Amino acid sequence: MSYFTEGLFTAGRLLFAVDPEVYGIVGRSLRISLTATFFASLVGVPLGFLIGSRDFRGKAIVVIVVHTLMALPTVVVGLLGYAILSRQAPLGFLELLFTPRAIIMGEFILSLPIITALTISAIHGLDRRAVLTAQTLGAGKFRVAWTSLMEARYSVLAAVIVGFGRAASEVGSAMMLGGNIRFYTRTMTTAIALETSKGEFGFALALGLFLLLVVFSVNILLHLFQMKGRVR
Amino acid sequence: MMMSARHPQFELLDIVHRYDGKKALEIGRLVLQGGEIYGFVGPNGSGKTTLLYIMNLLLRPTEGQIFFEGKPIYEGANCRSSAQRKMTMVLQNPYLFDTTVEKNLEYSLKLRGLPREKRLGLVRDALDEVGLVGFEKRRARQLSGGEVQLVGLARALALGPGVLFLDEPTANVDAKRIRQLENIITKINRERGTTVVLTTHNLDEAYRIAHRVFSLFEGNLVSPTMHNLFKGAIRTSPEGTCFDTGKIRIQIPSEYKDSESEHATVDPDEIILSREPFVSSARNSFAGAIVQISSEGDRVYLDVESGEVFRVEITGQSFREMGLNVRSRVYLTFKATSVHIL
Repeated sequence: MSYFTEGLFTAGRLLFAVDPEVYGIVGRSLRISLTATFFASLVGVPLGFLIGSRDFRGKAIVVIVVHTLMALPTVVVGLLGYAILSRQAPLGFLELLFTPRAIIMGEFILSLPIITALTISAIHGLDRRAVLTAQTLGAGKFRVAWTSLMEARYSVLAAVIVGFGRAASEVGSAMMLGGNIRFYTRTMTTAIALETSKGEFGFALALGLFLLLVVFSVNILLHLFQMKGRVR
Repeated sequence: MMMSARHPQFELLDIVHRYDGKKALEIGRLVLQGGEIYGFVGPNGSGKTTLLYIMNLLLRPTEGQIFFEGKPIYEGANCRSSAQRKMTMVLQNPYLFDTTVEKNLEYSLKLRGLPREKRLGLVRDALDEVGLVGFEKRRARQLSGGEVQLVGLARALALGPGVLFLDEPTANVDAKRIRQLENIITKINRERGTTVVLTTHNLDEAYRIAHRVFSLFEGNLVSPTMHNLFKGAIRTSPEGTCFDTGKIRIQIPSEYKDSESEHATVDPDEIILSREPFVSSARNSFAGAIVQISSEGDRVYLDVESGEVFRVEITGQSFREMGLNVRSRVYLTFKATSVHIL
């Protein structure tokens, strides 16, 4: 039996036997990635709207910087985070290193440019009449912003989903900032890396399948939402 | 709508607007009274939409003052927001939010904090007014161009505005719907007393709907219409100062002799039309032939070819008494002071 087939059997057994460790890792990963995506959206969507909807000096440079940050290597984020959060570092007193919150911070930094850049694109692609119409109907600044985001909701949601994908699938910063501590900071990606290096191919494959399943489910939901908006 | 008896609804003073330093609009004074329909006619780039945006307070003019019901708009935030709540605009190509027709109409009513029951009542009434009852649950993005125009208008009507701005309301509508839209516009004005300010390319349409028609040309108000607008150059000769179109020479007051203007216009009202040469002190007299006749109410418009095509406006009675027809030979007479150099 090949490694792959053996791995598939092990994965099936772990999944259907509801292995507490596997499900614990999946739950923790989802909590961390969703929290990071939530905060990145909270900052990135309004920031993307502001950059996208306004003309200001140096806007092109700001957009280029945001686009560049989309390709930020995860290990660089891990390294910088480590440099800031380790015991002798400026934020060492917060004692965040090797905690789930440190991973959330890393994933937040990785998702933020993606959500911001794609929101900028969504706002650039929005029909200019949407803003004018809201203004002519008496909407104030905040309501105009909200209406614009609602009109661009499919693109903005796609931005959030891609941001989540980045957070859920990254391994470098989670490993360096979380430390891959069993039952505490071990996430799907760090566990896959660890188990593969140990030769526990089945365990790694089970987690890989879960990771794929999560991303697949999220994308199906997005697709259904977009279809609902277009077909009716 | 409650209006102060002393103040006009709108007063624009010394308005100048520039885009990237280039002057797009310049209006010395413009007064609009409440409860009237005003039509602004002009070609593309004449400043019609800019003027509408400025009056709808979507665009702050580079220079000048706007008074709404006697109060200066840009002196204090409250004046502007309270004025803005009394007016709305339907864009040339209305944008409907990506939701149902009902939610589109409810949008502005929600902003004003009206309870749902009242909102739905107003939505129903507005849809009834434009003949789209039953469209409430339809997706806005699935409507035809004409329906979009009507829903855009209904959305504005649901608000019950004191002033309604319509930017080229019939530009994207098929011929069948044009009359329907025009009837709705006049009905809103007649029954609700709403002031309607619209722009159009179509002079006949402006005269059909509006109580007063203004013409805009290169950002300036020209009086009163765009007919008899000629391009040429000012020349001085022993006979006096004239505007040379290349085909005819129109005598103008000598005060313009140093002007470098390339455009002149003659008010159709100020041209005397006669079957025989008209003896008077007027310095301009041209023989020509009628090439087109149109009418609106008791007004008859004649296009006369006499080197250039002149539009002349006469009453129906004069038209009948003179026994005019297409190809009839006529004489046009007007004073040099009837020529406006732009």
